Amino acid sequence: MLDTAFEALKKFDWGSDLAELAAIEDAAIAGHANPETREELENRLISALNGELTRDAQDYVCRKLAMVGTVASVPALAGLLVKKENSHLARFALERIPVAEAAQALREALSHVDGSLKVGIISSLGARRDSAAVATLGGLIGDRDPAIARSAALALGTIGNAESAQALTAAMRTSPINPQAIIDGLLSCAEAMLVSDQRAAASAIYKTLAADSHPRLVRLAATRGLLSCGSKQA
Amino acid sequence: MAPRMWQCLIVLSVWFVLPPTISRAADHPSDEFLQMIVQLIGNSDREFRAAGLEQVRTSVKGVPATKLFVAQLPKLDSAGQAALLSALADRGDAAARPAVVELVTVGRDEQVRAAALAALGSLGGTADLPLLIKALSSASAVERAAAQQSLVQTKGDTVNKKLVAESKSAAPAVKTALLEVLTIRRASDELPAFLAAVTDDNAQVRAAALSALGQLGHPEQIAGMLAGVLKSAKGNERDNAEKDVAAICSRIGNEDKRGSVLIDALNTVPVADRDELLSLVGRVGGKKLISFVADIAAGDDAARRKLAIDALSKWPDASVADQLLELISRATDAAERHLAFQAYVKIAAARDGRSDKQRLDRMKEAMKVAQTTEEQSLVINRTRTAYDVESLRFLLPFVDQPQFAQGACETIVEIAHHREVRDPNKAEFDKALDKVIETSKDPVVIDRAKRYQRGETWERPKK
Repeated sequence: MLDTAFEALKKFDWGSDLAELAAIEDAAIAGHANPETREELENRLISALNGELTRDAQDYVCRKLAMVGTVASVPALAGLLVKKENSHLARFALERIPVAEAAQALREALSHVDGSLKVGIISSLGARRDSAAVATLGGLIGDRDPAIARSAALALGTIGNAESAQALTAAMRTSPINPQAIIDGLLSCAEAMLVSDQRAAASAIYKTLAADSHPRLVRLAATRGLLSCGSKQA
Repeated sequence: MAPRMWQCLIVLSVWFVLPPTISRAADHPSDEFLQMIVQLIGNSDREFRAAGLEQVRTSVKGVPATKLFVAQLPKLDSAGQAALLSALADRGDAAARPAVVELVTVGRDEQVRAAALAALGSLGGTADLPLLIKALSSASAVERAAAQQSLVQTKGDTVNKKLVAESKSAAPAVKTALLEVLTIRRASDELPAFLAAVTDDNAQVRAAALSALGQLGHPEQIAGMLAGVLKSAKGNERDNAEKDVAAICSRIGNEDKRGSVLIDALNTVPVADRDELLSLVGRVGGKKLISFVADIAAGDDAARRKLAIDALSKWPDASVADQLLELISRATDAAERHLAFQAYVKIAAARDGRSDKQRLDRMKEAMKVAQTTEEQSLVINRTRTAYDVESLRFLLPFVDQPQFAQGACETIVEIAHHREVRDPNKAEFDKALDKVIETSKDPVVIDRAKRYQRGETWERPKK
């Protein structure tokens, strides 16, 4: 059954009958309980991805690797990160594969891409809350490309730890090319800290943003954040 | 760099240079938090104020905090006072009550007094009933409404009894409001008080009492309510009074028992007054009452016959249709016959439990006995309640008759409106709608016909 499904996969596009791939779907689900099934499926998916596939089929494989992928899938997916037509599919999988190598592949790819691909990889590092990327992302807040600078600030906010807060605050002091993005990042950061019960750190960020020098909506958001910090304590 | 950005950087720098300030604040988080809420309550920006009021509602529980918030009331403008009163009400701490009571009496304006009255509903108790009842006589509709709402909310085992006692000597408007409050409070132990009020000299009081009994009463109260029905003025008040009695009857599941209960209640009314209650009998309906009313409708007394035909026209279902058809055929008086005909068409068109085909069959019978153009037009008009392609076939020939054409066109589009009838018979409907477009002089009917041909719908304008 799986052989037939992988044969059908070669010519797959999103208009095809998904029932032809049902054996792959079943194996992906069964793989959660059975490591051998998962490993066999992962290996076959990696082979398929390294072979000749339509773009839609590559898309399908990346979605399945997001479910069953391990460190073994990282090299094949990393190879796609720099390709304009596949980068987002590879990121979809690498964001979800729970191994440090996946984050490392994303970090390494940063220096090989630019423009929207770089924005995407930055946001994937944010989605993974990759603390190892904080220094790199902190450097990118000052990037000449405003989209890259903005996505770096937002990713640091999503990571939401003390180091990312420090990087954002430092960026605010030294090179606020995109102050609104930095403020958004700081608000996200404080919210993440509040959720993880780091009230003092969150409160410190909110107090900064509640200052009169900030626009009304920023002050309002920061005030609400401060109230959340207080009500958690009260 | 923009000056605004420099300001921002200075603030950030100060914050980073002075971490002890933050650590000191963290030593007394509750005080700092309370002060922040207090400042926000007094903020002139509504959204900042709302953020503070939300904390009053949900956070920092305890009497000291409540007292601190209450102490802000005198410092606020009217809108701020009203908003804080509402938040204190939601907070639900009775420690705020003395200040709220004070504002009911010395509040600067209507908005504040109304908010204070509204807050008493959750913060007050039986001791505040006199104040709230007094506010029911206020010249301000907003204050009256707030007081009434608070009376509904006030907790306490003796509240209903006290409200009933106050209602006995209250002015009609206040008495009406108190009866409405008792109804919403579901004061089912106070049915005697409602019964006593159904014959009040004031129409509003009567209506409130009957409405209360309609919602809370039992079959045992029906006899007492009939006195109120008889005292009510004919027209809207009488209709509503009858509906209140019918509401109790409708809660009796067994149809025969429903009839028996009503007959027993009618037997307590003086014979001379019973005919006036025939209309009520019609609203209640049921097999047991059909012959009782139909016999009167076929009797010798013309005035009683008219009342009985009116009663049959109010029957909740079509079970009296045959009796009405017989009355039409036997009537010797033209006006009486016409009355029976109108009643028959009304009953026949009712969307009760019958099928659309059954409704259409009744309409066809009505058309056979119709004697005037007006009666035929009535049948054509009411056929709209039979959602069936057969109704279309019945109506189409009338489109060719000038005296019926416009009415028939309108009824056809009414039936075509129903997609579940139209879609399975699209070709037939399209052809009929072509004819409607060609014949009708009403632009709305033409527009609707075209829409239905295109598979679109049409929204009836709100009256």
